[in-house]
Amino acid sequence: MVSDSITNVSIPSAPINNNNARDLGKKKRARSAKLKQCKLDVRREQWLSQGAVKNKDCKEEQHAGLQGRRERNNHRSLVMGPRDGENVGSIHHQHQHQHHHDSDLDSNSPSSFTSSVLGSHDSETIFTGSSSSSSSSGGCCSGNITEDDDDGCLDDWEAVADALAADEKPKNQSSEPPREHEPITQLVPPRQIENSKPQCARAMAKAWRPDDAFRPQSLPNLAKQLSLPNSNVKRDGGVPWACNSVVSPPSSCPICYEDLDLTDTSFLPCLCGFRLCLFCHKTILEGDGRCPGCRKPYENDPVEAETTVHGGSLTFRLPRSCSMITRS
Amino acid sequence: MTTSSSSSLSLASTSTWVSTTSVSSSGKRIQREMVELNMDPPPDCSAGPKGDNLYHWVATIIGPPGTPYEGGIYFLDITFPSDYPFQPPKVVFRTRVFHCNVDSSGNVSLEIIKDNWSPALTITKVLLAIRSIFTKPDPYNPLVPGIARLYLADKAKHDELASEWTLRFAK
Repeated sequence: MVSDSITNVSIPSAPINNNNARDLGKKKRARSAKLKQCKLDVRREQWLSQGAVKNKDCKEEQHAGLQGRRERNNHRSLVMGPRDGENVGSIHHQHQHQHHHDSDLDSNSPSSFTSSVLGSHDSETIFTGSSSSSSSSGGCCSGNITEDDDDGCLDDWEAVADALAADEKPKNQSSEPPREHEPITQLVPPRQIENSKPQCARAMAKAWRPDDAFRPQSLPNLAKQLSLPNSNVKRDGGVPWACNSVVSPPSSCPICYEDLDLTDTSFLPCLCGFRLCLFCHKTILEGDGRCPGCRKPYENDPVEAETTVHGGSLTFRLPRSCSMITRS
Repeated sequence: MTTSSSSSLSLASTSTWVSTTSVSSSGKRIQREMVELNMDPPPDCSAGPKGDNLYHWVATIIGPPGTPYEGGIYFLDITFPSDYPFQPPKVVFRTRVFHCNVDSSGNVSLEIIKDNWSPALTITKVLLAIRSIFTKPDPYNPLVPGIARLYLADKAKHDELASEWTLRFAK
């Protein structure tokens, strides 16, 4: 009777414990799988921001510290390594091994960078504001890994453009945190594309100034690359002016003859392709509001019209229109 | 020493002149148009500032051959508004002309310098448009209905009168 009671007590308790342990294990595995989806994005972001190596190094030290604490592993002494020395690469391999212990899903882990960040997913909210690379990685972790894999071929030149336009990223960040919590994954890939494409166009405009030594060789190929596959396939509404912007941006405003700056050259208020500077555009809007090129009235709010078509354009178009208002 | 001081003085005076008019953007635009007009003048046309005021020009158009206005030299006054090119320039004939689109005080009925003005247009294009109404009058939007009626009813008589006016006023 006593033994019975003991077994009765012990038997139910043991499976519960086992279940708990298994659930914990499952949760952990599912979590790490989810985190793994993020890490490809994160890796890309990190690769893009290799210019800021210093910044990244210190960030990863923090990652490493958090990771070590979270896993309560015996490698703690190794985790402490990067704080002392700069040998970050070897430490990353240690982290990778830890993850192989954690879950078998890590077999396709592409590099040490990703695994080191994978372990610190919990800390991303902490780092969101700290540096541009970490916050952007947080913005990308909305589960669009498959899209990113498809885009892999574009990454090479996109990455360069993104890196060139890195100073614009903080502006974009302001709109990303709320989107991060949206469960809809469909929205995210177009946004990412739309975010990167205009930056590319602008960065190219910057890179291919006539005084650029590499312009004659690289211009034809890259122009083709931008206008044919990307603007036609992925930009649903902006094909005509996307081509125009690459082919023949005027150097000065045809209305006031002032030189067009970078903002003006990427500003296209009318579908007819007539370009002018923001000052003249504003003056015309205060008057009859018709495009000088085609005499058709400008759409009342070209900014909003653009954003409804390409959702991602919102982030950098709005500040421009605001600056136009404040400047006058 | 004196030359340099005088040049700096003149520079200062021009800059203050531009700033006092507070339309430096239109000034720059008009100046550029002047340069381009001198470099590549349209056929049978010429234009330039009347005096030292950039906003008052005088233009001449030579009557195109094959029309009753052939050989006539027509003077026009061009006045640029301060918000040029967002507002069209005022163009007035100073030479009398027998034309259904030019009234007795020299006003021209030309859509592109009224409702169809575009800031992308230039004085060169305006002069070419005015020159084109010599070859193709528009009797359906006339300023002088009598001449328009004569043009539609009896073009020979109209041309005769027009060439008579050309001889009297434009040569």
